This record gives sequence, C-alpha cells and structure tokens, in this order.
Amino acid sequence: MTGADVSGDRLAGARSGSPWRPVVVVVGAGIAGAGAALAAARSGGAVTLVDGGAGASTLSTGAVDRAPWDEPGGGPAPIPAPVLEVLTALGSHVLSESGARLLTTAGIERPADGHDAGLLDVRPRTRDLVGVVACRRPCWNAVSLARAWGAARRPLEAMIVRHVDEPWLPDADFAARHDDEGRLGWLAERLREALARAGETFGALVLPPSLGIERSRADRLSRLVGVPCGEAVGAPGGPPGLRFERARDRALTSAGVARVVGRATEIVPAGERWRVILDDPEAAAHVGVADAVIVATGGLVGGGLEYSPAESMMASALPPFARPSFRATLALPATVGVHGRPLDLPSTLFGATPESIAWPFVADGAMDRAGLLAGTDGVVRPGLFVAGEAMADRRRTWLDALLTGVAAGSAAVRAAISARAADPWLGGASPSRS
Amino acid sequence: MAGVAEESLVSVAPPPTSMAVARDPLPADVVDVAVVGGGINGTGVARDLALRGLRVAIFERNDLAFGASGNSSGMIHGGVRYLSKAPHVTETSCRDSGYIQRIAPHLLFRIPFLMPVRSGPKGRVALELIDAYFRAYDDYQPLKRGQLHCRLDPAALAALEPGLVGAVVGGITFDEWGVDGARLCVLNAVDAIEHGGRAYVHTTVESIQRIRRAGEGTPGGTDGAEPTATARDRYVVSARDRATGEEIRLRARVVVNATGAWSPVTAALGGLPQARVRVRPGKGIHVVLDRRITNYGILSEAIDGRQIFVYPWQNVSVLGTTDDDYYGDLDGVRATSEEVRYLVQGVARVFPSVRAARAIGTYAGVRPTLYAFGKNEDALSREHEIVDHGAEGAPGVYSMIGGKLASYRLFAQELSDVVAERDFDLHVPCATHSRPLPGGDRVPDALALAERHALTPVAARRLVYRHGSRALPILERAARSPAEAEVICPCEPVLEAEVRFTVAAELARTVEDVARRTRLGLGACGGMRCAIRCGHVVAEERGLSPRAGLAMATDFLVSQAKARLPAVGPAQARQEALALAQLRSSLGQARLSGRDPAEAPGRT
Repeated sequence: MTGADVSGDRLAGARSGSPWRPVVVVVGAGIAGAGAALAAARSGGAVTLVDGGAGASTLSTGAVDRAPWDEPGGGPAPIPAPVLEVLTALGSHVLSESGARLLTTAGIERPADGHDAGLLDVRPRTRDLVGVVACRRPCWNAVSLARAWGAARRPLEAMIVRHVDEPWLPDADFAARHDDEGRLGWLAERLREALARAGETFGALVLPPSLGIERSRADRLSRLVGVPCGEAVGAPGGPPGLRFERARDRALTSAGVARVVGRATEIVPAGERWRVILDDPEAAAHVGVADAVIVATGGLVGGGLEYSPAESMMASALPPFARPSFRATLALPATVGVHGRPLDLPSTLFGATPESIAWPFVADGAMDRAGLLAGTDGVVRPGLFVAGEAMADRRRTWLDALLTGVAAGSAAVRAAISARAADPWLGGASPSRS
Repeated sequence: MAGVAEESLVSVAPPPTSMAVARDPLPADVVDVAVVGGGINGTGVARDLALRGLRVAIFERNDLAFGASGNSSGMIHGGVRYLSKAPHVTETSCRDSGYIQRIAPHLLFRIPFLMPVRSGPKGRVALELIDAYFRAYDDYQPLKRGQLHCRLDPAALAALEPGLVGAVVGGITFDEWGVDGARLCVLNAVDAIEHGGRAYVHTTVESIQRIRRAGEGTPGGTDGAEPTATARDRYVVSARDRATGEEIRLRARVVVNATGAWSPVTAALGGLPQARVRVRPGKGIHVVLDRRITNYGILSEAIDGRQIFVYPWQNVSVLGTTDDDYYGDLDGVRATSEEVRYLVQGVARVFPSVRAARAIGTYAGVRPTLYAFGKNEDALSREHEIVDHGAEGAPGVYSMIGGKLASYRLFAQELSDVVAERDFDLHVPCATHSRPLPGGDRVPDALALAERHALTPVAARRLVYRHGSRALPILERAARSPAEAEVICPCEPVLEAEVRFTVAAELARTVEDVARRTRLGLGACGGMRCAIRCGHVVAEERGLSPRAGLAMATDFLVSQAKARLPAVGPAQARQEALALAQLRSSLGQARLSGRDPAEAPGRT
C-alpha cells in the first residue's frame, strides 16, 4: 500500500461520516500486550492484536509482583485506575491491598502484591492451621514442604490422585482434569473425607498446582469443601500461565479486539502511520496500516530479544563483522540499549563474554536489562510504542509488564487522537467510544 | 621408639578387617597417620594405610574430590603416551587399570576412541606411524582387558561415525576406561573409614606442629609441647570445621600432605619450605553437552595443535580439555567463556555437531603437575614424586606431588610402603589392588533390581553404576520408607534414599556434595527441579533447619549458574534467562545474592 492509499483511507473515513476510531495494532499477546490491547480498546481504539505464541506470561507462576518480591523497600504502591479496570476485565487475578502471602513449592512463604485466583493467599489465615495436601505429585513432598513452610502447616493425607498416570502427569495436564465439574466434586469429597479423618481443625488447604486451566477452580472447590483451598506457587509452565491465556482470550473477545495469529517480522513507517509486516501473508491480510503500533514482544525469555554475539561461540569460523550481543527479533526503528544508552559495539568479534553481562556474575547486566529504549509511556517514535519486557531497564515482573502495557495502550489512543486533531485536513473529528 | 613400633606391629597383627576399635590402644585424639587432602592421592593413601592396619585421619578443606580428582576427564588410561619413552610406565599403568577394574568393576566403563588422521602431505605416513604405535600398545591390552586397536579406511571411519567431517586418510580406534573420579575418591575414603580411619570434610588444617619432648628439639623450648604426648606421636594437627568453626586437634606420628595444587599452602602451615613441594598448577576445563552426540571418544586438535577430545558419558557428552598455568584462587576455579570457545572451536573442526548440542555446564580443576620453569604446559611431566621432609627436620612428614587419577593406586602404594616400613616398622603387603572398594564385590544385576524394586531400568543402572553392591542397602532404605523411594532428580534419576545414603555414609554435607557423589542437579535442568528438595532432605538428614537446606540449595544453584553461563550460546541464552528468572522469582533475588530477606528489613 502506498502513502496515497493511506491518506485516501483516512479521508474516506472522514468523508463517510462514520465515527472515526484510531487503528491500534499490538504485537505480542503476553500480559503487556493484552493490557495494552484492552486499555486501547477501552480508550476508543480499534485494536488488532498479533499473537506470536506463548511467551513469558504463559510461563508465569501466578504470583503478581510489581518489583522483585524480596527487594527491600518495594512495598505496595497505588495501582492506577485503568490498570485495575484491565485486571477486572481479565478476571483471573486478585490484587491484595495489604499484600498477599503465597506458599511456594521451594518451601518459602513469600509476599506478593497479588496472585492468580487459583493460588492460596495465607495472609488472612495467619493463625489458622493450613493443611498441606499430601499426595503423589512431582516436586511435591507435603511432609517436607509443611516443615519448611513453618509451624502452622501440617500435612494432610488425601487420595486426590485418581488415575495411574497422575503421579507423573505435568502440572498443567493434571490441572486440566479439574476443569471437569464431576472430577472437581470427586476431589472435594476426598478433601472432605480427609478433613473429617484429621484430628485437627484446618483453616485452609494448600494443594499442588492442580485447580483448572480454563479458569481457577479454587473458589468452587473452597465452597464444596467448606474451607478455603488453593494452589501453591509452582514451577513455570504450570496452570496459572494457562489460566492467564484463557482469561486473556475471553477478555479480548468481549472487548472486541481482533486477534491475528502470526509472527510479526518488521514494523515499517507508512507515511505518518505504521505497518506491521507478518511472516504469513494470509495473516498479514488482517492487519492494516495503524495509527499506532505497540510492541510487546517480550524480553529474552519471551523471544522479543535475542542474545546473538557476532560469533556464536559454537562456530568455527570468524564472523565478518562485530555487532552488539543483543538484538530485537523484530526489525523496527528502535534502538536496543541498556541503562538508558544504546548497546556498545563490543571490541571483539566473538561478542561480549556472558560473564560480563549476566547474573550471577553481574547484577542488572545486559542479559537482565537490555531492551528497546523508550520514553514516557513507552513511546519510541510518534505512533510507535513499546511495553513490557521488550522495554529496556524495566523490572521483569508480571505487574510491571501490565502497568507499562496499559500505559502504552492508553497513550497510543490519546496520541492518535491528538495527531488527528492537529491535522489541518481532518482536525476536529471526535472519536467514538466503544 | 623401637618399643613403640614393636608394640604397634604386634597390635596390628590380626587382619585389619577385624574390629579396628577393639585392637586399638590409641587414645581418641591420636592417630598413626594424618592425611591432609581428600583428593584421590589423599584418600588413596589413607585407604592403603588403613588396610595395613594403621589408624588414619583425612582432613579435607572442602569436599572429597573437590579439586583435580573430581574434575578430571575421568579416565583410567593405560598410559599410551609414555609408550615410546618409558614403556615400563605404560606397562604399570595398564596393569593398574586392570587392578582398578578388579576392585571397582561397577565404576568403570569402556570408551572406544576414534582418532581420525587428516589428509595432507604426510597424512599417509602419519597413519602408518600411528598404526604401528598402537600395534605396540596392543601388547599391553590384555593387562587391562582392552580391545586391540583397529585401522580404519575413510569409509569405515565414516560408517562408524558419520558426523566426522574433513578429508581423512583413515583413522584408528583404541580403547580406554572411564571412571567417575569423585566416586573413586569417596569410595577410597569410605573404605579407609571402614578400616578404622576417620575423615573430616569441610575442615581446613590450620597448623601442623612438631611435638618437642625433653631431650629433643629446641633447648628448653616448650612450643607446641603436649603434656600427654607419648613417644608414638610426633605432630599435632590443628584443624577447623569451616561450617561450624569447631576446632579439631589430633596427634599423629606421620603427616601426609596430599593437597595437590594446594601443596605449597599446606607445607607452609607446617613451617616447611614451600620450594620443596612446588607444583606448576595447570588449569583444565571440560564442557558438558546435553546429550550423547557420539558413541565414541573422538580425538581432535585445538588451534595450537594440542590434542583435545569429546566423549560420551552416560547421557551427556564431555569436551576436554585445556591446560593453562593458573594463578587464581584454588577454592574458586571456574571455566571461562574463552576456554569454552577454544575447546568448541577445536572439536567442531572435525565434529561439527558439537555446535548443535546445548552446553549444560562446565567444570574445572587444577592439576598439580611437577614444577618446571620454561616448559610449556603439555610438556610437563605427569609423573609423581614423594617428598620426604625428614631432611628439613620434619621426620615422618611426606608430600605427594603430581600424579594422575589413572595411577593413584600405585602412588598410594609407593608412599604407604615407605610410611609403613620406615615409620611404623610394619611389614604388611599392600592390599589395595586385590581387596574390592566398597560396593565392588558382587555387583548386582541392574535390570533384576529394577524389576524387584519397581525402578526404571535407567535409575537402577545408574544406582548400580555408582554404588555397586551398596545399591542394595539404598534400595532397602527405600523399601522401608516409601517416601525415600521418590525420584528427586528426574534428569539423573536419583532416589531420595540415595541422597540420604550419601549424607549418612559418604560424608556429603551439602547439596553440592550430594551432586558430586550422585550427579544430582548436573543434568539438563541444572538442578532447577531438584536442588531445593535435595536441600531439604540433606538438612533433615543432618538435623538442620529447612532454611539451612534452602541456603545450601541456593548456593548450589548459583554456583551451577556460574558454571553454565560461560558455555551459553545464543540458542541457550533464552532458556538460561528463563531458568535464572525462575530461580530468582522462587527463591528471591536477595537470598541468592547472599542477603536473606527474612532478616532484611523489607516488605511485610
């Protein structure tokens, strides 16, 4: 599409008199991308989300932190209203004003700003005895976990593993079985029996990651059993990440966000607007020229950033040129940097040594902090935004990704509206709110 | 003095396997021989002397096999490189390889090596020469149950290992034996203990003092004098447990310095001239790849012409090795990314699929090679040498310098002969070549065990590999308490019972120690799935708090991350980033950097 076509489109929209909505394309379907898409839609944007597959959010463990949880002085901070709206729309997570306390399968009780609804928050029950459901599941030893979690945690023997494959089944597959109401009822019965057998009174029950992937079944189970039940925080790739994906899909659909499954390869300017190029032409047909593009492709884990020294050390020949050791996997007019500056060209063809850029050798090195350099609300250039872990120098937490996503989503629509208002041809047309 | 020696000879006359305590007239704080160093030389000599009936104590600053012994290429080779200059060394090496197969049959595995010979102006001549050389080596193969070498034409070589690239005139095969060096040390130490010895791990020797009695030593001097000293002992060894701070003082007649690269440091503690025990510390690293990329050991040349190799080890492959002078901290030897690049580049030249595999770790050690100035590393002698410090006024103090894993038993025997005869007037022949190491007798059939104990065949095979007949008591533990039958390291199937066994019977004190003995956490996931659970188990077995268990798991995970990172390539960086993010989110960043958030003022 040429520049003339683009202005033609815009004029056509204005002439037809139909309510104008800024076109926003979000690249990336993790929590930052979903947050951006939902916020943009709420602000009146016509949003298309390009979903390139699972990333760091799919692997999230369900703990919601703004800053790494054990950094002194983190403390709960007020969450902006648009972020709370997006969280409500998602419906999969609970924020806790006074802070939650979660039990992890590492044997720690740790603070959090909130959590996936399937996890058990033990803060309201600091005085109650919490039963640790003892069953044959991988990485789950109730006796040892109860001991590690502290005095008021006691193992509670219950036959919650029903089929022969279940002692080895991955957490997510096991959790999926409890999406079935009948199976959940069976689980509740086993837990009620166990509680009846126990000589003590339990105030809550903590289970291995297991309570559904379509949505959290913790509330339903708690009602059936009669005491609060929930999961412990497990390893990445467990049920909370999948529950996030399902909740995201539901929220995007009801917000009217269009979804395109495909991998974006490039973002190029199209006049004063932006075009997202996809590797699959069929998918690309559904992505038009956008007034604003938000890049939320994730960091090193999510795949938005790549560690690629000029010579991968596994090669036998020297590379033709040196280049910085990190690059964005998406070609776009933005700069990869760290600590507010573009990445230096290393003075070796072999690329910076991992020891000089990665934890635990160095704190906050490029391996942790590199990303796309951006200004307030993630703006890179007019109409081009970045959010989540794709941004340089951010804390790599779920809530931080959501905050930056919502900020970019709202800002993208605001900027598109004011750009139109400033346009001598189109100025004055007011956007409609959906 | 002679009277004492006489007495000791009489007292050890019954076979040393009988109750060591019953025959022992020594007070609790007196031993015959204090061995400083828990590597293969120290544990080897301790076992030898214990089998001859002497009471030994091993002091190890870190863990058994912490240094070169646990970080070598792990080969009991036949000394093929000595064949032309010193054929008797090859002969004794091969003979000793045969002995080690006899005493620890479960611990050895055959590594068939391929040596491709590249085409070139002298390629054909080189092949002839190499062929002839190995024909001579064939004569010694029966001593170590080795296969005879084969000469291969290019087609046969390609058929055996299609992954080899580059023009070759042919190649040859030869056969060596691999071993788990760390387990070899542990078994020697355990056997020494079972024959009346003791071992203090994570305990560093702080001083070795001569006991001076009236009529000897400095006139009127009372320094280090022990009022209770008998004529039998000559030295006081003071050591400190590095974890608890507890002080241990033992009196000993003989002190053996078997501290490898640490030797000069140890000598200084005894006031001995360091120049006498000088070593040339040579750092060697290995890279571990996540899978068996070949079923053969493959020799290759590095860019500087040094011989390097890749070989399969259980389910992984190992690349080795470098040899560079080392001047750093001996307690913190680590591979660097430069060294990894050097190795990978060299092996990739003939076997490019090393580039496709994922590096899951590195390990590094420092060889205590005999000192020489002005030679390059590879030209240094791998021989060993006994230094008798009698000449410096320290009779009964010996240093074991140099040596290699493959010849440890001979070295131990040589020193034990000297010590037994000279210091104890004891004429008991060495028995280390014929008496099996713990677990080396009647090695059970792994598949039968798997069936009987409902284990996977892999888990059973690994258990038998590591423990031989002592797999049985471990499985009995698991049968008694079903919780212990749980596999806690899914990558390297390790049962909880085995972890508890290593703590109870093999001197493991931390997660890292368990890993050294069982390979727990050294597989593809780098301990992400098992280290914390293992920490809890170790803490429980040792009567420590779960928090202490978590702390040692954390130490292990951080040190593994440091060992893995230098080998990380682009494809792995993403997985590594995920692993580290998970580590930090589940354990807490502050905890990992040494600040326990529970103690820090922070969030509620």
